[in-house]
Amino acid sequence: MIAIIGAGPAGLAAARAIALAGFAVTVIDAAQKPGGQYWRHRSTVDGYKATRSEKYFSTVMGNPLVTYINGAQVWSATRSEKSIYINYLQSGVEKRLTCTDLILTTGAYDRSLPFTGWDKPGSMTPGAAQALLKGHGVIAGKSIVISGTGPFLLPVAVGLAAGGAKVEGVFEANSPLRWLRSPLALLLNPEKALELLYYLKQFRRYSIPVRFGKAVTEFTGHSVRISDVNSDMTIKKTNVREIDCNVIATGWGFVPDITLGGILGCNQVVDKDGTVVFSVDNNQRSSIENIWIAGEATGIGGSDLALAEGHIAGLSVIGKRIPFSLNFSKFRKRLFARALQVSYPVNPGWKKWLNRQTLICRCEEVSCGQILDSVEELKAEDARTSKLFTRAGMGLCQGRICSRNVAEIIGESKELRVSDSERIAYSNRPIAAPISLGTLGDGISSK
Amino acid sequence: MQKNNPDAIVIGAGIVGACSALSLTNAGLKVMIIDRGSVASGTTGAGEGNILVSDKDPGPELTLALKSRDLWFELQEDVGDSFELEAKGGVVVARHDSSALMKLAEHQRAAGVTAERVNSAELHKLEPYLHPDLSEGVFYPQDAQCQPMLAAARIIQTVLARGGQLVSQARVTGFEISENTIKGVVTSRGTFHSPLVVNASGTWAGEIATLAGSQLPIAPRKGFILVTEPAPQYIFHKVYDSDYVANVASSDADLQTSTVVEGTRSGTILIGASRERIGFDGSMNFEIVRKLAAQATSLFPVLRDVQLLRVYRGFRPYAPDHLPVIGEDSLISGLWHSAGHEGAGIGLAPGSAALITDAILGRDSFMDAQAFSPQRFAGARL
Amino acid sequence: MNSKVNFTFNGTQYSGEEGQSVAAALLNSGVTSLRSTRFNGEPRTIFCGIGICFDCVVKIDGVANQRACLIAITEGSQIESSQ
Ligand SMILES: Cc1cc2nc3c(=O)[nH]c(=O)nc-3n(C[C@H](O)[C@H](O)[C@H](O)COP(=O)(O)OP(=O)(O)OC[C@H]3O[C@@H](n4cnc5c(N)ncnc54)[C@H](O)[C@@H]3O)c2cc1C
Ligand SMILES: Cc1cc2nc3c(=O)[nH]c(=O)nc-3n(C[C@H](O)[C@H](O)[C@H](O)COP(=O)(O)OP(=O)(O)OC[C@H]3O[C@@H](n4cnc5c(N)ncnc54)[C@H](O)[C@@H]3O)c2cc1C
Ligand code: FES
Repeated sequence: MIAIIGAGPAGLAAARAIALAGFAVTVIDAAQKPGGQYWRHRSTVDGYKATRSEKYFSTVMGNPLVTYINGAQVWSATRSEKSIYINYLQSGVEKRLTCTDLILTTGAYDRSLPFTGWDKPGSMTPGAAQALLKGHGVIAGKSIVISGTGPFLLPVAVGLAAGGAKVEGVFEANSPLRWLRSPLALLLNPEKALELLYYLKQFRRYSIPVRFGKAVTEFTGHSVRISDVNSDMTIKKTNVREIDCNVIATGWGFVPDITLGGILGCNQVVDKDGTVVFSVDNNQRSSIENIWIAGEATGIGGSDLALAEGHIAGLSVIGKRIPFSLNFSKFRKRLFARALQVSYPVNPGWKKWLNRQTLICRCEEVSCGQILDSVEELKAEDARTSKLFTRAGMGLCQGRICSRNVAEIIGESKELRVSDSERIAYSNRPIAAPISLGTLGDGISSK
Repeated sequence: MQKNNPDAIVIGAGIVGACSALSLTNAGLKVMIIDRGSVASGTTGAGEGNILVSDKDPGPELTLALKSRDLWFELQEDVGDSFELEAKGGVVVARHDSSALMKLAEHQRAAGVTAERVNSAELHKLEPYLHPDLSEGVFYPQDAQCQPMLAAARIIQTVLARGGQLVSQARVTGFEISENTIKGVVTSRGTFHSPLVVNASGTWAGEIATLAGSQLPIAPRKGFILVTEPAPQYIFHKVYDSDYVANVASSDADLQTSTVVEGTRSGTILIGASRERIGFDGSMNFEIVRKLAAQATSLFPVLRDVQLLRVYRGFRPYAPDHLPVIGEDSLISGLWHSAGHEGAGIGLAPGSAALITDAILGRDSFMDAQAFSPQRFAGARL
Repeated sequence: MNSKVNFTFNGTQYSGEEGQSVAAALLNSGVTSLRSTRFNGEPRTIFCGIGICFDCVVKIDGVANQRACLIAITEGSQIESSQ
């Protein structure tokens, strides 16, 4: 029995490959609808290449070989010699799915950096604004500023403007000239130029101003303050502009969601940019023989790469050869993903925006000053000990939002590099989602 | 590294090392604390903060626990800063037959413990959310609680303020010994000389003893703790069932679970505790987690709707006879041990520190520490 | 057009479109705070939008700390700010 956790582009591509070859597969996802973070599928909104998803939905959904379990939050998984047991919650009831081979395509979530006011209502991630719009038909606010880094800011701005919001501007911290460092990636991915042209046209159409080398460094609740930033992300000139808005969407790339693979014991490595990803072989197989991993969880690369990786994982699970063209396509897209890393780095100078009052851990409301004090006075030397002293990272989100930032703040204050083992430690958690003690204690009675 | 050679070196920045360092400092010695990690990076950072007299049979450990409990409150005066020390009181509930619990309480009373038998009405007044069928128990007002990591950190901060040193990220890899007398400690960050070394490395104390050419039979006893989301105050004391007392004292290698439930200041609820002897195997075991949850909700049905957020595990330092090892090494003079406190190291730390300081300085102490002597294992084959 | 779903939030009647999350429906109705924080009493609402940050937690039909950005509105459900 083959199972896939995650019905985003990677998971659907894997399911499609498996089902087209005549094998049965079960796809399980926490969301009500398939498509993952990308294909949220509301007829009212379209975007670049929005119809591409049809090919996947039509071959996967309703296919008798594919069992689709939706609204199913996997909270833990265990394995024995031959089998993997997936424990999930569906409408408050715990159920178990047993499989022999597993493909994990659990995706990623926005990376956030703290700044003054980022905890005020109206401050959110670009992903949240996108999810509200594409998933629920709700425009996050009337006037919106978008800031951070990465190509993802573009579709979010265009989507919001098309939906009727006033997008006051996109403030990208990095310089577009950084792309000149990756000529081969650009050469091998010519379709990306078309995508860029599409967005430029849309920006003109909705008159969205785009500025580079700038970042939002404060949100008052009804306006943002913008600073000029250097390439190392330190502030060149503070508060060069103030813009009224009721929503500020800031995002700094993505964080792979590695929780489940971590619980199952799949090996992880620290990528060049400090993100923790799974190590997989050319066929997307993890360090554990019957677990494959594809999509953002093996390194941020966008939906095109997720599709190629999912396809490869699907073929590999059923023992099919991977055609050269598919491998080449993945290679091309990996190269592009590398270029994205080079073009949109989150350089360490962002810590200079913080002051002692800046909130770092949103859940437990721990300030930057408290974290620095735990280092100075209590001799914390890493995110784990600081957490024990300050509770930063101990709240409901279990450090998903703050733990990387805490580790980097501590590293900087001690003038030490954050070690790989610490990065792996703060990226993993023992359970993937909360479960009530009653449900947990009752155990799983039926399938 | 530019560090002065101290009067004494304490290996281990856990709660036992912290308390030992402070009592030696207060006795006038210049102390250096060495740890391979940072403060509270061992078992102290993976335990609960119960300071208990209720779970101990009369004997040397209870005598130590009673004194140690009082010393915790003196320590708080000395250190001056808060580590959430609170005389919460413990409630032990008899699930089935209460006779064993009542007998234990009687013996404990004779040994100076305040142990009040409570009937159903009193029990539910103490803990209104307890399962209505539970009808008998014992209340131990002396049982207390602290935040152990914060305590270790505050105590070490005090040691530093009084002239001590902390060398972190320094793994002890050997000793300088001549004529069976300790001269210094070799670490990954250099060698430090001192005629006096206290091995407070908890679960790893046996490895340290081996590095010195001696031996100490300390092994890990693994335990899981469940942490819930912040919840309204449902639990007012430290509450556990009387099976816990039997489990604590058991030498069985197999898994044992018995419920220990307590609230913390941050609103989260901690649920323990499992005990297994399976070496340093850090892997997760969801069956144990389920069992702990089931036991906790059977004591407090209201917890059924409270969500589990996190699970963590630690390795208690375990000696074959369940007693800590406090005293000078049987072979190497100048090497002292304070380790093996198993599931009670937080509670016993200040008392153990007083014992070892008195022994080092040749002072009279509040009790005879013979039962804790490392000599008891001398010659034993490990 | 999707059909309307009615629910209450802190006792006030609201409605949203079928399939919308609690957080989306409330934001669309002009509700800018779903709860106040435990320590500082600061207002909070949707932040990550996809169930990661737990900023949007509310009590739904008696069950505390539910992520409003994940859970779809249902007819007659009673939603309250988590405390
Ligand atoms: C909020 C958000 C919005 C985005 N919007 C866009 C966009 O509009 N355009 C774009 O190009 N890119 C977008 N991205 C980037 C996106 O990561 C990739 O483009 C693409 O979706 C990655 O595909 P994937 O299959 O690897 O993962 P995802 O699409 O993220 O799919 C992962 C799936 O796994 C499921 N899952 C994870 N853990 C569990 C669990 N424990 N139990 C059950 N199910 C689980 C999730 O519910 C999800 O459906 C967005 C990212 C985010 C975070
Ligand atoms: C789940 C669980 C629950 C518990 N609950 C309680 C409770 O409620 N109440 C209670 O009193 N006790 C409790 N305990 C027990 C308690 O945590 C321990 O007894 C206590 O923390 C031991 O403290 P320590 O200082 O001896 O050891 P540790 O805290 O482990 O300190 C030893 C230090 O030595 C260092 N070290 C090891 N080897 C080397 C080396 N080679 N070089 C340098 N440094 C080294 C380690 O890094 C470590 O920091 C619990 C334990 C567990 C696991
Ligand atoms: S907004 Fe982040 S969990 Fe709901």
